[in-house]
Amino acid sequence: MEPILEVRDVRKSYGDFVAVGGVSMSVPPGSIFGLLGPNGAGKTSTIRMIMNITAPDTGEIRVFGHPRTGDDLRRIGYLPEERGLYRKMTVMDQLLFLGEIRGLKRAQLVPEVERWLERVELTSWAKKKVEELSKGMQQKVQLIGTVLHKPDLLILDEPFSGLDPINQELFRELLQDYRSQGKSVVLSTHGMELAERMCDHICLISNGRAVLDGELREIKRRAGGNSFRLLAEGDLERLKTMPEVEQATVQNGEVKLMLRPDADGADALRQMVGFLKVREFRSEEPELEQIFMKAVRDAA
Amino acid sequence: MRLENVFVILKREYLQRIRNKGFWIATLAIPLFVATMTTLPSLLLLKSHTHQTIVVVDATGRGVGEALKAQVEKAKTAAAAKPAEPAPRRKAPGEGGESRLADFAIETQAPAADPQAQRRQLDSRVRGGKIDAWVWIGQGALADEAVEYHARNTTNLFTQDALRGDLTEVVRRMRLQQAGLDPARMEELTKRVELNPVQVPGTGTSGGGLAGMIFAIVLFLLLYMSILIWGQQVMTGVLEEKGTRVIEVLISAITPFELMMGKLLGICLVGMTQLGIWLGTLVVLTAPGLVATLAFLPPGLKLPALTFGILANLVLLFILGFFAYATLYAAIGASFNNLQEAQQVASVAVVFIVAPVMVINPIINDPNSTMAVTMSLIPLFTPLVMPLRIAIEMPPAWQLALAYVLTLSFVAGMIWICARIYRVGILMYGKKPTLKEIWKWTRYA
Repeated sequence: MEPILEVRDVRKSYGDFVAVGGVSMSVPPGSIFGLLGPNGAGKTSTIRMIMNITAPDTGEIRVFGHPRTGDDLRRIGYLPEERGLYRKMTVMDQLLFLGEIRGLKRAQLVPEVERWLERVELTSWAKKKVEELSKGMQQKVQLIGTVLHKPDLLILDEPFSGLDPINQELFRELLQDYRSQGKSVVLSTHGMELAERMCDHICLISNGRAVLDGELREIKRRAGGNSFRLLAEGDLERLKTMPEVEQATVQNGEVKLMLRPDADGADALRQMVGFLKVREFRSEEPELEQIFMKAVRDAA
Repeated sequence: MRLENVFVILKREYLQRIRNKGFWIATLAIPLFVATMTTLPSLLLLKSHTHQTIVVVDATGRGVGEALKAQVEKAKTAAAAKPAEPAPRRKAPGEGGESRLADFAIETQAPAADPQAQRRQLDSRVRGGKIDAWVWIGQGALADEAVEYHARNTTNLFTQDALRGDLTEVVRRMRLQQAGLDPARMEELTKRVELNPVQVPGTGTSGGGLAGMIFAIVLFLLLYMSILIWGQQVMTGVLEEKGTRVIEVLISAITPFELMMGKLLGICLVGMTQLGIWLGTLVVLTAPGLVATLAFLPPGLKLPALTFGILANLVLLFILGFFAYATLYAAIGASFNNLQEAQQVASVAVVFIVAPVMVINPIINDPNSTMAVTMSLIPLFTPLVMPLRIAIEMPPAWQLALAYVLTLSFVAGMIWICARIYRVGILMYGKKPTLKEIWKWTRYA
């Protein structure tokens, strides 16, 4: 299937500072694509180039199967990193305006906006000014503004910032609805745990470079062969000194272990029994966080 | 350029501002303020008629005190005979007693043997509130000695002015008599000559000297304020969109040029709405019937009427003036990240708006001087200088036409350059750009 969005080796520098030093990614139709990485990794810079807000120094951006043109932007819904709303406008006026600049007619818009406000439980706030809303509510208003014109591609920069878990769940449902219509969502986040729940494709960015890119399940499967969960008592810190262990995270007496690809699980267990009282040891899918740390280390 | 996109932006800009309470407060408060400031002082003065009881000690021995008493009585009856004339203008001595701001009840006293005791006694009467003041007319008053006025309050300038007028009148007569001249004859011979300005029909638009000048200045100030206020609004509007990142969403839907034009046209319409209300108020206020009853203008001064020709020119000049400056403000707003940074550069633009203020007087005095004509043809000054000239005297058609052509070309050029700066600037964040960098933006393809 032809990707909805394709970024080919895009680079962007500001003076001596390299914001994006070669990012490639490919977003298939019907997917929720996570652009992941710590703060300052180059996520927003990449998104701004996709949206034609800044121009890349080199590289190519293709959407809907061809090099991006100005008109393509109208088929994209974009949610900038925080704010992005007129503070003094009422929620209703704001959303009608955002629909109208996409060429929608007021008559169709009003019921559509009302339906959306109902869905995100903001109906009673329709006549309030944006500045009177909490950050989470503003984020919901902004998301509605992004999807009103039913774009084929959604690009959301940090959509979960300022949202409580209940609203995060609401966003997840909305995005999954969106995907089920065969449309794609690209979202950026620095929350790995969140991305793991939301996304089916990911691109990991670190220091302006993509270090990992692909289907989340596949990435996990590839990385997963040598991940284990260990329940044990004793000197857990000593695990980190074992040559077979690549990574060990201890949490509440539970250890997440990632062994070197060539290491054998049974072998390692035999050694551990020597200094630990092992109660449970089982093979497990690694967490994204672990995969990410490993990828960053490998890239360095 | 898609017009429907421009219209959506225009509609938002216009409605958001028109729905704002602050807009209506400012729009209605300014005419109200101006009307109050022009009529209230006159009204207050009219109502603040004072009455003083004064003791006059006449040390001249020539009956100045008695003559003053008679003069004051004469003035009082003259004022009572003409109660319908409300003009509060201060009259020159001898010009007639109508609408005096003070009248007096006078008690005369001969100087006592001990003048110090008499003075002390009079002072105590003032302190006791029995009289308001006492006046000492010294021996040399008929020569050039000043007359003393002793009162609790010596800042009552209008009251003193009335008294001084009466005293002067009395003393002048006596001096004339002393010199063997007939005062009545003298008055007749030394009467002021009145100058009655009559405009040659078909040469101008204003109705009279002073009124025409006030009229021109009012029109000038209205345009000046509108252009300044709404030009700045364009700048703050652009900065808001930049600061809230709304701009990034807008630019994904419409082009920067559509956005800029929609914003300029929308805010221009808001300015025209306001200007329309102000000019409408002026039309009503200067309607002949109303002026007679409302405005307390001295007789002989009539306000010029706002003709259709003047109104049409004003509106056109406002639009041109607005675009000449607002495009600049849009480019400045787009180039910087916050109000503080932008304001420093915007103050440069203000210089061009303020410059015409400094030549108001010479232009009003001679609207056809080389300086006035030249300035009214320079595009950045045309929108402010031309209204001044039009209000005084309609300039020749070729000058108007030339001014419009020049300004229109200038505005077109401004839109072209500023749109280019705007397009690049609105998406620039971070470092404050130098003027050189901004200039470079205009040459990006």
